[in-house]
Amino acid sequence: MLQIESSNLLLEKTIRECLSTEIESLKGIQRTFTDFDFTTYQVSNSTAKHLVVVSIYVKCWSDLVNYGVEEYLEAKYAKFNKVLQKIETEAGYDFSFVLDLSVAQKEDVEFKEELVSELANLKRNSIAAPFEKAFSRYDELAETYANSNVYSEEVKQELENESILTINYRGLDESIYIKPSFDRVTVIFSTIFKDETDKIFGRVFLQEFVDARRRTVQTAPQVLYSHIEPPLDIRNVIQGRADDNKGYVTFVLFPRHLVKGDRRQNCISHIQFFRNYFHYHIKCAKAYMHSRMRFRVKEFLKVLNRAKPENVDDEGKLIENRKTASGRRFEVGRG
Amino acid sequence: MSQSLKPYLTAVRSSLTAAICLEDFSSQLVERHNRPEIEVDNSHNPELILNPMVIARNENEKVLIEPSINSVRVSIKIKQADEIEQILVHQFARFLTSRAENFFILRRVPIKGYDISFLVTNFHTEQMLKDKLVDFIIEFMEEVDKEISEMKLFLNARARVIAEAYLTPFD
Amino acid sequence: MASMGTPAVVMDNGTGLTKLGFAGNDSPSFIFPTAIATSTLGGKSTKSSASNSSSFLASKRGLEDLDFFIGDEALSAANGSNYSLSYPVKHGQIENWDHMERFWENSIFKYLRCEPEDHYFLMTEPPLNPPENRESTAEIMFESFNCAGLYIAVQAVLALAASWTSSKANRTLTGTVIDSGDGVTHVIPVAEGYVIGGAIKNIPLAGRDITLFIQSILRDRGEVDTTLQTAEKIKQQFCYVCPDIVKEFKKFDQYPEEKFAQYIVEYTDKNKTNTVDVGYERFLAPEIFFNPEIASSDYLTPLPTVVDQVIQASPIDVRKNLYKNIVLSGGSTMFTSFGKRLQRDLKGLVDERIQLSERLTGNKSSGVKVEVISHKKQRNAVWFGGSLLAQTPEFKSYCYTKQDYDEYGPSIVRNFSLFSVPS
Repeated sequence: MLQIESSNLLLEKTIRECLSTEIESLKGIQRTFTDFDFTTYQVSNSTAKHLVVVSIYVKCWSDLVNYGVEEYLEAKYAKFNKVLQKIETEAGYDFSFVLDLSVAQKEDVEFKEELVSELANLKRNSIAAPFEKAFSRYDELAETYANSNVYSEEVKQELENESILTINYRGLDESIYIKPSFDRVTVIFSTIFKDETDKIFGRVFLQEFVDARRRTVQTAPQVLYSHIEPPLDIRNVIQGRADDNKGYVTFVLFPRHLVKGDRRQNCISHIQFFRNYFHYHIKCAKAYMHSRMRFRVKEFLKVLNRAKPENVDDEGKLIENRKTASGRRFEVGRG
Repeated sequence: MSQSLKPYLTAVRSSLTAAICLEDFSSQLVERHNRPEIEVDNSHNPELILNPMVIARNENEKVLIEPSINSVRVSIKIKQADEIEQILVHQFARFLTSRAENFFILRRVPIKGYDISFLVTNFHTEQMLKDKLVDFIIEFMEEVDKEISEMKLFLNARARVIAEAYLTPFD
Repeated sequence: MASMGTPAVVMDNGTGLTKLGFAGNDSPSFIFPTAIATSTLGGKSTKSSASNSSSFLASKRGLEDLDFFIGDEALSAANGSNYSLSYPVKHGQIENWDHMERFWENSIFKYLRCEPEDHYFLMTEPPLNPPENRESTAEIMFESFNCAGLYIAVQAVLALAASWTSSKANRTLTGTVIDSGDGVTHVIPVAEGYVIGGAIKNIPLAGRDITLFIQSILRDRGEVDTTLQTAEKIKQQFCYVCPDIVKEFKKFDQYPEEKFAQYIVEYTDKNKTNTVDVGYERFLAPEIFFNPEIASSDYLTPLPTVVDQVIQASPIDVRKNLYKNIVLSGGSTMFTSFGKRLQRDLKGLVDERIQLSERLTGNKSSGVKVEVISHKKQRNAVWFGGSLLAQTPEFKSYCYTKQDYDEYGPSIVRNFSLFSVPS
């Protein structure tokens, strides 16, 4: 697995099962499960068998509310309003939908599939709200300044004062900052490493992110990395303590990445999983190192075992492959 | 293989061969005990300890050999040019020491200032062939350097591929 | 719930099936084979582990180590020629750590979708797992994945905890666990949370053998469809344990309409179906636990006798409690009346022994209570027990955290404190 998918496999599976099982034979569902960054889902049908309630908890919900997440989600899922309604939020969660299976099951396959995949992207869509907001602000700015001299001091000043959207998606230590401008949108991740090895591996990875654009992927967003010191753009909005283990990763998205439609949507899905992708691959690299080390240990042991006389025949020569009468070899410790 | 590595390893090999010359020796302090003299405080009978020696290729790569009457302690400092190599060496040493019981002669804790230590006692030399033990330590030193630099190469290569794989779909 | 923090992850990696999920749920989120399909591209042979490792040393620039599938996806990927399938767990113990590490990697990031730094983990291990294996598990969980905290529990103990949902059960950690999955059946005595290792017995009869037995009966009768899948389905839908074979045969003759059944085989091609008659195998198949000679020629000890032997081999002061709390776990113990029959047969053996001793000594015995506990969560009892335990507020205090691990090293996981019995 190279990329982290934006949809939740388990949510997808659960909804699909609900849609394909006869309502009479449907059992009581009560499932709680999580997604990255302290997101929790609950799927249940406690009131009536055919009414499946899907709730989501997102750690940074209070930030998202500032950027209109509820309206955004309602609009996003409006096309399913025959079967899917927003209801009063369940206790402990931030947003709830109810899915009426008795209606939904009668719909055609295409509709069901779309419903499943959009619901499975519930977390992605929640976090997407501020990005959508920032991107539409960029649309406005691009239009406003289309014909003005953007290098003039006043314009610079105005752009400087453009408000920054902050999402503390993993608490105060790790946040996403989004700053729209007329020709770009800057997305900054603050990230923190709890583990010493991760910190060093992380730096190697980030350096490559910075260099990648220069070397091969010229059309990619520009990436900058700064350690401890926050970038100028967001210096005024930084919360949380300064820390040795903290770093800031800046993505500069250019107009080519922000073309409305699929590309913009794709960009939103992709960028919000940056941290997960990044940490996932640090962990994979460590797992690979473990495999290498296991192999090396095995090799070292082979060398050391040569020193043991029982592996040596009478003339002092090594017996590497002892064979049975039928010519088979002993294979010891094979996994 | 670089110019200075071969003489360095040759020096370690001959010093080790000379140092691993051990005999069974009962403790003079504790009755009916036999302990590796190099590991115990020998201020009262200094005659059991021989002169330690350091063979250094450069500041970052050296071997400390501490011989005694019935045991030799060999400590290796592995080359660490930067932060990445440091963490890799640290991880690797930890991985090895947690499997110390398989390695017979591996010490669970390295001597201060070194990355990994071996303790060879007369019991080891009685059960194992001395030449092969020396071979093992030499091969270990060679392979560790190779492994660390390979891991570092891997990490950089991996980071590059991962960065590109992330940035490409934006377009 | 959500405000209480992230739920713990419960992972039970069995020889055949892996169960994954979050604490607090009553069933695992994912159940799939503990199988991994690794890439064989590049023409490198993966026949032996040595050449396997060297092949991926050689290809260090590639992403070969990310090119693999686990679970059901592994099974389908292995149908092609580019992947080779392997099972990293053998006889309950992890054999191939390279594969297991990647199996976990994918379980966590792809299936469970959680950042291990944010979650505590409960893993399971078989009884008599060497402590080195625990250390290796901890090494992977903490060093590769930085998981927040870890608890490793013995499967049999979790199965005992799972039985607390039954109304009959007394909430103790003393009892005999009968764990029958697909490959082997284990009988494991547990006293106050500790497995009595010396008394464990294994029976080489389990789910797969029952399925094969059904298949052979179907073949003998010349049914139209005698595939393993059909036999498996018949086992799951129709089989039950009878009190007495002879009487059961008579019942079949007297009331054929009620007893004989038909199974309709559906194929991927929707238009084609076949009908298979289901007869005596309904009760004969599970009977191999109680009369192994009907299916096997080399294993002849019935299950109740084995249970009795196991308890007799345990220390004398816990035997009464072991008889009193016999807990079932695993899919092959799910047959209707399995518990009842086992209890009756075992009771017979015990009473016989008591009578003998009463006759010999002339002393009146106070009797031994034999109780077999069946409950609703039997199928995934181990996972469910883990889920129960991991959702308690005290769970985190039993775990070792990443800080503990960094401070003391892998040997810290050699001992876990036992969880107390929640009242």
